[in-house]
Amino acid sequence: MTGAISLPRASKPALFVLALAGYAVFAYWAAHSTLYIQGLVLVAAVFGMLAVSLDLVAGMVGLYSLGHAGLFAIGAYATTILYNDHHWNLFVILPVCLAGVGAVGLLLGAISLRVSGLYFAITTFVFTLVLTVFASDFKFTGGYGGLIGPIFPEFPSWLHWAGTSVTWACLIALLLATLVVLAIRVSPLYPVLLAIRDAEPFAAAAGAPTAAVRVGVFGLSAAIAGGAGWMFAFQGIVSPSQFSWQVSVNILVMVILGGINTTIGPILGAVFITVFPAQVNINPFWQEVLFGALFVAVIVAFPSGFVGLLRLVWRHALRRLGAGRARVERAVETPAAEAVVAPERVNGAAPAAPAIECHGIVFRYGSGPLVLNHVDFTVRRATIHGLIGPNGSGKSTLVDLISGRLRPVAGSIEIEGTPVDRQGVTTRVRHGVARTFQSAVLVDELSARQNVQVGLYTRVPRLGPRSLAWPVIPSARRDSRALRERVDESLSFVGARSWAPVRVSDVPHGIAQLTQLAAASAWGPRTLILDEPLAGLSPKEVEHAASILTKLKASGVSIVLIEHQPRFVFALCDEVTVLAAGEVVATGPAASVRENEQVREVYLGQ
Amino acid sequence: MSAAAPALHIAGLHAGYGRYDVLRGVDLDVGPGEAVGLLGPNGAGKTTLLRSIMGLVKHRRGVLSVAGTDLLRLPAHRIARGHAGLVPEGRRLFVDQPIEDNLLLGALHLRRHRDRVAELLESVYDLFPVLRDLRRRPAGALSGGQQQMVAIGRMLMSDPKVLLLDEPSLGLAPIAIGEVAEALEALREQGRSILVVEQRVDLVLRMCDRIYVLAGGEVALEERASALGDDGRALIDAYLG
Amino acid sequence: MLQVLLSGLAIGAIYGLVGMGFAIAFYVTRVINFAEGQLLMVGVMVAAWLARTGLDPWLAVVVGIAAAAAVGAVTYLVAVRPVLAFDRFSFAWLVSTLGVALILENGAALIWGPTSRSFPALLTGTSVHVGSATLTLQEVVTIGLAVVVAIAFELYRRKTLFGKLGMAIAHDPEMATALGANTAVVAAAAFALAGAFAGLAGVLIGPITYSNPYLGDTYGIAGFVALMIGGTARPAAAMVGGLLLGILGEAANKLINTQASDWFPFVVVVVILLVLPEGLFSLVGPLRRLVLRRSRRTSPVRVAG
Repeated sequence: MTGAISLPRASKPALFVLALAGYAVFAYWAAHSTLYIQGLVLVAAVFGMLAVSLDLVAGMVGLYSLGHAGLFAIGAYATTILYNDHHWNLFVILPVCLAGVGAVGLLLGAISLRVSGLYFAITTFVFTLVLTVFASDFKFTGGYGGLIGPIFPEFPSWLHWAGTSVTWACLIALLLATLVVLAIRVSPLYPVLLAIRDAEPFAAAAGAPTAAVRVGVFGLSAAIAGGAGWMFAFQGIVSPSQFSWQVSVNILVMVILGGINTTIGPILGAVFITVFPAQVNINPFWQEVLFGALFVAVIVAFPSGFVGLLRLVWRHALRRLGAGRARVERAVETPAAEAVVAPERVNGAAPAAPAIECHGIVFRYGSGPLVLNHVDFTVRRATIHGLIGPNGSGKSTLVDLISGRLRPVAGSIEIEGTPVDRQGVTTRVRHGVARTFQSAVLVDELSARQNVQVGLYTRVPRLGPRSLAWPVIPSARRDSRALRERVDESLSFVGARSWAPVRVSDVPHGIAQLTQLAAASAWGPRTLILDEPLAGLSPKEVEHAASILTKLKASGVSIVLIEHQPRFVFALCDEVTVLAAGEVVATGPAASVRENEQVREVYLGQ
Repeated sequence: MSAAAPALHIAGLHAGYGRYDVLRGVDLDVGPGEAVGLLGPNGAGKTTLLRSIMGLVKHRRGVLSVAGTDLLRLPAHRIARGHAGLVPEGRRLFVDQPIEDNLLLGALHLRRHRDRVAELLESVYDLFPVLRDLRRRPAGALSGGQQQMVAIGRMLMSDPKVLLLDEPSLGLAPIAIGEVAEALEALREQGRSILVVEQRVDLVLRMCDRIYVLAGGEVALEERASALGDDGRALIDAYLG
Repeated sequence: MLQVLLSGLAIGAIYGLVGMGFAIAFYVTRVINFAEGQLLMVGVMVAAWLARTGLDPWLAVVVGIAAAAAVGAVTYLVAVRPVLAFDRFSFAWLVSTLGVALILENGAALIWGPTSRSFPALLTGTSVHVGSATLTLQEVVTIGLAVVVAIAFELYRRKTLFGKLGMAIAHDPEMATALGANTAVVAAAAFALAGAFAGLAGVLIGPITYSNPYLGDTYGIAGFVALMIGGTARPAAAMVGGLLLGILGEAANKLINTQASDWFPFVVVVVILLVLPEGLFSLVGPLRRLVLRRSRRTSPVRVAG
């Protein structure tokens, strides 16, 4: 989607239909082949589902779970036990499995999210370990020997031509799991997920409840793993050794080896790892050595896995065909003539109340020295309020307190007359507060357009549940179109429209700053807090950014501008507050602050 | 200054992280025994310039040499072995380890020359006597000013030909800033070649012979400190507009 | 009871050595070497093979440890360094070190056969009575050696320049580079040392398990759990984790039933991790700060920046 080389857009649906047709032909072939091959297809499809589900959490939100074998085991055991001992209908068991394992996933996710990175992997690893140990020790799970699973019902007679039912079932299950993840990937939730993974403050400032989204995605992933467990029960025997911690690690290997955070990578990895040992018939030890050597060779040569290899081949082929796109020279454009992004009009709030009002703010990190000492700070509506002072004077800390990332030790904050002291970041966003961060906190691997989409998180109703079937929901298509228009308007507004499809890692610093500004202003916030938006811009770019801010102000937005270069601040701002060593040195109209001797001294040093 | 080979010679340096350069053709020289100040707004590329000299920024092209040695051909850990020494922004001490260990880690490449290491250690303690008494304390337990002394001492332990300092006054109390400034002046007296990034104009004017202002990854101004007036009014005015 | 404790310590010492191997490699590179258990196996197999060819058993044991260390360093150079060079934060090393584990395990089965073979018995016959409990000389030596090695490592880490460099790299690898450290060399050395720890564990457990290419799985997982209990802040903590794991397993075996040794220790680990997600020793930092703060009140040093 964001690659420099891609096919014309019109051919994408055609390719998709072609791929589906090919898949159906393969399924027909598999359903008519030998039992041996059908067994292999079943296992490969089940592991494909597991890899796809793990990629959802590992690739999109950065949670490297080793609990998936455990979740898988719950699905398989529950299916077998409910069928064998309680004689439930298999197709009643399926939704129970999805919901039940999903719920276990929510719980596991909520507990494990206390820790991150390696410790998340370890906690979920222990979950798998304990489950399999219990499965081997208890009677109702059949101990080490396990249980004999149910048999999948045959097709009715009018469908006999289709072949073996279970083969179709597992391939359709894999397809559905893949399509759900693909739907999320093309939905506006995808950039938000990646922001939660790579730039959490950005996602939170856009109003996304990051912890809840993480747990929710983990729950969905667990549900898919539970579905894979249901499917796996038909494979014959369900026993503890099939769900050991090594299986968890293997699923992660499939994802990484295939290509993490890609649509088909995890499936390729799963097919390779399940089919290779079964199909390569040499001395079993040589075979395993070769298998291991392939792991090392592939990942060392292509750290992004099989998909990295495919991309290389693809690019090569396209270049041969001469389809490579000419490089477009881009620059900052003149911004669109008028402010297209009008702030939401306030209803109910007293018009006289200032945009932001801080009283007696005291703050320190832990038991460290005071960072802010009784700071009073008031921003009037529809003005640009400069916040300046030397590095380390507490500017960014004050802004973090206003946006809710930090809580003050003492003092109170009101936004448009409403006290927000008890509210978190996401709630304050709903009061119309948006912010940017020092040195552009964005998702590098996404395009500028997708990054701006993150900023619009709150503008898409029920994004989470709808993302599961995004491409086929009519209202979602409308939303997608509207979203895209809004994003492009916003990018035009800051004068970076031509950069929309370019990955942020490949844009110059100034454009990244403007993209951040577009993301923060796209949804029409009434108050905009900008932390050094001019840092690193060339003089021409600074002028350009200043004109954007003036236009935002004209449309009624209140702006807090942290800046390090006093020259621009005094020219641009209506009022200025100077902080030094955590205290307000001067505050008031720009002209008077500028003439203040004390302020000059702050900059002189003594 | 023009007679001897410059301690640090940079010409047409481009450097950066992604596809676009942060530094876009920087020309800068530090003469032997000269103290040079580097000013500029946040994001202008000051820290990137120091990191490029140390080899910590991977993509570099142009000319970059210290006392005639081409640094572009050396890996980062070789540059640190006596060519250039860095006091990074935020100090980046090994906070769990004692002060003396922090200092000794600065002299890794001299580990076979014990006498030289002892001599350097002695000179650091002479420069910062307070550290001698605290040498067994973990670096994290010190005040900001003392930590900055450790960072400067650690850099001196590698016996570098050019000294790079990134915002040595940042986050320090006024008294501590005075102490650090004094130490830097002492180093200047010793005839060291120094390149210091600093925001406090008064400090730069006090410590430096020459000043560069960096903006948008390019040198916007180069001037002798004496030409900027005793109190640097000219520069302040340039800042405040 | 005493018997449970001492037998637990003997097996726990082995877990602890492997756990320290995991910890040392992780400490410097932030990589879990999934072939660590297989390095134990390499130590056992090489020592057993050399002894069978008629080499002096003591020498065979030393070569076995050295072989494990060498394979450890090669693992770093072949399977870890290239993927870290591409992206320091990716998990690609998971795949490549597992690949190495597969190669080692099955390579050993190819060369020496998949069945158990004898291992030279170095310390036989004597048993040691401690109160009511009886230990073999082998067990006593294992416990003693493991504790000595753990302490020696900790001293080495804190007192030698190379150890201090390791700490510095663990804390801030880029800054260490900016001070002239060749981090790749230190990382390779850490992997070699991690291999030596696993190799030592191997030759200590070899007389009980005999030589077998599949030893790596069992002891690898136990060592990994030992690492989890101890946390990753200091490698020697994994030894404490290993000893605890050994005692828990032995206690479950004797006091509940033989199967309980499979799950009881892990349940305890879950509880530990739920309370202290970063390991048992994550308590040490806050405790020390508490003590330090108290002592600072009387010290003349200013603490505030």
